[in-house]
Amino acid sequence: MWRMIAAEGPDEAAERQAQLLRGCLDMCLLALLTEEPAHGYELVRRLESSGFGAVSYGTVYPLVTRLRRLGLVSDVPQPSPTGPPRKVYRVTDAGRERLTIWRKQWIQFAGVVNAAVDVRTSESGDDR
Amino acid sequence: MTIDSVLATADREWRALGVHQRDRATLGADLRADLEAADADGLTPAELLGTDPAGFARNLAEEAGVERTTPRYGALFGVATAGAVIALVVGYVVVLGLHQAFVAAFDLPRGVHVPVWLAAGAFYGGIVAIVVAGAVVAVRVALRDVPRIRHTAARMTVLLPPAFGAGIAAAVAVGWALDFRLTPAVISAEAALVLLAFLGATALARRWSVYTPLSVRESAEN
Repeated sequence: MWRMIAAEGPDEAAERQAQLLRGCLDMCLLALLTEEPAHGYELVRRLESSGFGAVSYGTVYPLVTRLRRLGLVSDVPQPSPTGPPRKVYRVTDAGRERLTIWRKQWIQFAGVVNAAVDVRTSESGDDR
Repeated sequence: MTIDSVLATADREWRALGVHQRDRATLGADLRADLEAADADGLTPAELLGTDPAGFARNLAEEAGVERTTPRYGALFGVATAGAVIALVVGYVVVLGLHQAFVAAFDLPRGVHVPVWLAAGAFYGGIVAIVVAGAVVAVRVALRDVPRIRHTAARMTVLLPPAFGAGIAAAVAVGWALDFRLTPAVISAEAALVLLAFLGATALARRWSVYTPLSVRESAEN
């Protein structure tokens, strides 16, 4: 088991990270926007500084578009000192409600996964 | 990679996906606004989107949940051709029967002379009308569950007659140039020209209906 992890290269690790992120990135974006509204590439910076690593704008922008379509996020043009107005995204009331539901679901799901991973690890003796 | 080139690539991708023109315009305008704002902050499109703008455009269309209509040219060609051939055979049998019935029932007065151009026009016009009707009805019936098919059928009704006219004229020109020889090669070439006109007009009708926005009334009908 340890040998397999050690043999996993940076590409495989990044792919695994991307897979894990795929199911929860929209929730994380909602959470980050709940803290403070942001424009698209500011969101990318916040994801990076939150520890998600390099998540591209090309990944974030379509997801924000989906959140807008679902009415969970709205956008407001904000004047920019450097150029044309930027779209700043903020969470709507529906978005806050949805985030509360998703957060509960995630905590429950993460608990189940953690428990499963703990059990398997203990059984295989890898935690020793 | 410039903003314009990214938007051109994205638009091509959205067209290929069958995204409607109004949705392409909205997605493109939103994306342009974001890219221009980022550019003013010193971030290039390549830095933001990486090296695969087409993949980004596909992903964006998917997440935006835009309505998509795939042309389905293969099914359309098959059904339209089958409808046209069936109509031609049925029409031939009906006309043959009517001709015999009329010949038996009436005698054309000796003084009546029908000009050749009128006879040829009526003959070819009749064939075209039967074939167009067969193709359009077949498409409307057999592909009734395909989005925008009524719109396509309406456009076929408009485009097929002139296309057949052009195809027949081209076939006649080829026949004339080759002394109207009845060899398999010449007949095949003439038939291919007419078939090409038929399929071309059918494809154009589908393309017209898929890639242009519908009016409110047409949307309700489709």
